[in-house]
Amino acid sequence: MIRFDQVTKRYPGGHEALRNLSFTVESGEMVFLAGHSGAGKSTLLKLVSGIERATSGNVLVNNQNLSKLRASQLPYVRQHIGVVFQDHKILFDRTVFDNVMLPLDIIGFDRRDAQRRVRAALDKVGLAGKEKVMPIRLSGGEQQRLCIARAVVHRPSILLADEPSANLDRAYALDIMELFKSFHQVGVTVLISAHDETLMEDYGRRIIRLREGQFAA
Amino acid sequence: MKHYLYLHAQSARSALLKILRQPFGNLLNLLMLAIALALPVSLYLGVSSLQQWTAKLNTTPQITLFMELSSEQADLAAVESSLKHHPRVASFRFVHKDAALKELEQRSGLNAISEGLGSNPLPHAFIVTPQALEPAMLDLLQKELSGLPMVELAQFDATWARKLHAMITLAGQLAWLLAVVFALAMVLINHNTIRMQILARQEEIAVSKLIGATDSFIRRPFLYHAAWQGGLSALLCWGLSSWLAYQANPALAEFASLYGIDAQLRSLQPLEVLGVLLGAMLLSMLGARLAADHHLRKNQPA
Ligand SMILES: Nc1ncnc2c1ncn2[C@@H]1O[C@H](COP(=O)(O)OP(=O)(O)OP(=O)(O)O)[C@@H](O)[C@H]1O
Ligand SMILES: [Mg+2]
Repeated sequence: MIRFDQVTKRYPGGHEALRNLSFTVESGEMVFLAGHSGAGKSTLLKLVSGIERATSGNVLVNNQNLSKLRASQLPYVRQHIGVVFQDHKILFDRTVFDNVMLPLDIIGFDRRDAQRRVRAALDKVGLAGKEKVMPIRLSGGEQQRLCIARAVVHRPSILLADEPSANLDRAYALDIMELFKSFHQVGVTVLISAHDETLMEDYGRRIIRLREGQFAA
Repeated sequence: MKHYLYLHAQSARSALLKILRQPFGNLLNLLMLAIALALPVSLYLGVSSLQQWTAKLNTTPQITLFMELSSEQADLAAVESSLKHHPRVASFRFVHKDAALKELEQRSGLNAISEGLGSNPLPHAFIVTPQALEPAMLDLLQKELSGLPMVELAQFDATWARKLHAMITLAGQLAWLLAVVFALAMVLINHNTIRMQILARQEEIAVSKLIGATDSFIRRPFLYHAAWQGGLSALLCWGLSSWLAYQANPALAEFASLYGIDAQLRSLQPLEVLGVLLGAMLLSMLGARLAADHHLRKNQPA
């Protein structure tokens, strides 16, 4: 469950990226986040994962109020969330396998168990044969899938995807959307941002539209 | 708990593997640390060996009490009885002024001193051996003895022993000073190597934090790296100081045998090895911890 309660985010320098936003995403729901560039989509997702903190208002994630949580507690919140970053954040100094292993190392999984999970996640996103490949040799779409594998390998209860279908052709983008739908179907709360609304409308899900940090009409 | 230990064992293992994977660069680092350790350790060993030998030497100084020329039999008896009952006097010996004169004549080869002078110019004397005492206590004893009735002068005849003692004490203090300086160096060297490692892994750290890594998770590999680095360099230092002792001992033994002493530079005892090992590990980890904390603080999200 994600709940925003009159949340405002002002970046240092004074720019208000989000203004007095309130909404709820129920557990197991799949919701889209739409808006032009600069509307505040990434900012909203960063508030959910505690990467940025609200200037005012409350952000509740799985019944924890992130606005009141100490910084030292935020990592444990993040460990229950999977994030597909807009800029991927792939580590190019290690193999595909080791990239996906990272979240499990952080949580402290048993090695053997972790390896099994990494293989399952790579299999799920269609990268089963590319375990030992260095990410630089993956195509753009494959890199996107690598990010998704890393975001779901620890089976988070919330999955955040920041423009996961950007720069992909429509067929590939639909593939990726199907992938997210399959996580939603096993009970994961999914929040996906995009500026191409046509892709979302096919799915008939709730769409939160942002414009300059507020709900668009 | 078991899982927690498992995770730490894994971190320790992978930190060691990382060191072994770059043996050359790390060996240089280890040698630098080992030498930094070996300097104070060798000095310490030298000093404590020296203390062992000098304890065997008869370095207890003697105090000679010269009586006034006018002292009489009764005065001598009085001094003798005070010496006999003094708790800090181990033994003493009376030298009659005639015996002293005879000895002087023999030693100088001038048989006619007494004839030329008419009377004996030398005083009676007591040669006092104090119980082994600290230099400060010896000074006190000397003052006390010179205050006895009819004692003209109480004189040390072994100031060299006091100088030696003072030098050993000084060297000991120097060893500690060096230890402090090199402990600091240990922290700084580790701070620097770990800082470089952190810079090289900056991106990994940033991404790890974004996906839920705690500060202690970020620090852990660096702390283990530093601990291995410190531990291995302590072992190297042990080897180095033993090798030094092994190299120096034959020459030393030959030199010392001229004085009839059995002198050996000693090596570190097991307990001392453990102390150096733990000390080096802790100092290294302190350096790593400071470097990691600095990085984490600098890169904290608002
Ligand atoms: N770290 C930051 N410091 C200052 N301003 C920021 C920062 N991050 C974002 N902004 C500003 O906040 C506003 C919203 O940014 P955000 O990244 O949330 O937009 P977005 O909807 O994700 O856009 P895009 O579709 O281009 O990714 C923008 O005007 C942006 O310039
Ligand atoms: Mg964005």
